[in-house]
Amino acid sequence: MSAVPDSVCVVGGGLAAVSTAAELRAQGFTGRVTLLSAEEHPPYDRPPLSKDVLLGRITYDEAALRPAQWYTDHDIDLYLGERVVSLDPAGPTVLTERGEQVRAGAVVLATGGVPRRLPAALVRPERTHVLRTLDDARGLRAALAPGTRVLCVGAGLIGAEAAAAAGALGASVTVIDPVGVPLVPLLGEQIATALHGLHHSNGVRTLQGALGQVHEGSDGTLTCTVDTAGGPEKVTADVLLTGIGTDPDPSLAADAGLETDRGVLVDARRATSAPGVYAVGDLAQAHPGTEERPQHGEHWENALKDAGAAAASILGNPVPAQGAPWFWSDRHGVHLEAVGTMSEADHTVVRGDVDSGSFTVFGLRGDRCVAAASLDRPHDIRAARRLVDRAVPVEADALADIVRPLKSLLRRPAAVRSR
Amino acid sequence: MTETVRAIHVGVPEDIEDGEAVVVPAERTGTGDGIAVFHCDGEFYALDDTCTHAEASLADGWIEDGEVECPMHSGRFCLSTGEALCMPATENARTHKVEIGDDGLWLHPGSST
Repeated sequence: MSAVPDSVCVVGGGLAAVSTAAELRAQGFTGRVTLLSAEEHPPYDRPPLSKDVLLGRITYDEAALRPAQWYTDHDIDLYLGERVVSLDPAGPTVLTERGEQVRAGAVVLATGGVPRRLPAALVRPERTHVLRTLDDARGLRAALAPGTRVLCVGAGLIGAEAAAAAGALGASVTVIDPVGVPLVPLLGEQIATALHGLHHSNGVRTLQGALGQVHEGSDGTLTCTVDTAGGPEKVTADVLLTGIGTDPDPSLAADAGLETDRGVLVDARRATSAPGVYAVGDLAQAHPGTEERPQHGEHWENALKDAGAAAASILGNPVPAQGAPWFWSDRHGVHLEAVGTMSEADHTVVRGDVDSGSFTVFGLRGDRCVAAASLDRPHDIRAARRLVDRAVPVEADALADIVRPLKSLLRRPAAVRSR
Repeated sequence: MTETVRAIHVGVPEDIEDGEAVVVPAERTGTGDGIAVFHCDGEFYALDDTCTHAEASLADGWIEDGEVECPMHSGRFCLSTGEALCMPATENARTHKVEIGDDGLWLHPGSST
């Protein structure tokens, strides 16, 4: 076991990066912590970008991950606008575009992912909006007004959230996706269907198909041809938005000779193939067969877990138990949460009333809950997270019994009060 | 400046089941927010009801082991100190004193524990 380094340099400015710095301090690290963020904005949280930031309900400042004073209070040297262009694993040392060189005992790569874009041959990149950064959200918000015609390509989590927000701002929105009901593998049929149906009931049009052609008129109007099962369909749009996923960009690590695939390959300790170099968040990809981490974990909570694990590894502390993956999403005023891996379930149980639109689906494998997805029943997910993580045996009837508090299924013998 | 000592009768301890909470509305607390009164493992605690991270009622949260987990984004707070224990919560929740008298539970809005 190598000694604890005297300094750590974190490359990135998102949740994984800032949380790594926070975790290092929380776990007692007293050495120098440097944070190099390529963005000019102080680190901010991304989930609100497609929700409250887009809707104008919170200011850009309110999306900050931490108040400015926090960095001072925790003795974290935050540098903005410092894009790292090269990594020398010997040292290790990083070099920024502006010529700053930072050598540290350990380097943590946390540069996130980049949104996928439509081919430039299909439409000029300047005419498409993506939603990943604060500037993206700002640009999209500026383009939206009541009556603006929006075509959103991709009806997954981000696309659906952005489409719902655009609709709430009075835009006339069409969402297209090659899949009739997106997110079924992630959420199960019932939740995914109810969720997708919210577009229709909230005035957002959905269309199953793929974007075939885009013609840009002299007035800037985009005439989009959507290839559907019934033939091509024309959609006129002022704004074209894509939510078709993100990809990690492992080029910095690959150029330095680290093992990479789609992302930077890490083990359960979030260690890369180069000693003293770690990778966390959307950039990291677990070696196949690493049970402690999903191979691709691109949810908010995954960034937190990676940060805690990487900080622990750097400091020689045991890596904390990870727990089942969890995420939330909001659209049309409905709160979705999910935990675990629905595809591992061999049967499901519904709690609540499907027709009311507020219900939970538990995924079971034998007598263990392995997953749950829920619309507007967040308490069920609090319970499900614990049922999954504690591997508590459960009966399907008990999960379905709306009168019975789920907490009672979790009660440990010690907590049973005798009266 | 002296503050008027003010207490609100919340009910009797049996009114709040262990692991549950009730909200004293903002109109009664006079502190600008509702106050959630929690019962956890036989003890009573009070925090500002609105999560410091986003619009959510902590009284609707998951109450366990001296902590409450926000029902929206799972930020956790220490019930006795109000300390924000994990992301996305970064700002501590305001605590209020709860007293158990012979005649029931008394909440002292604005008086920290």
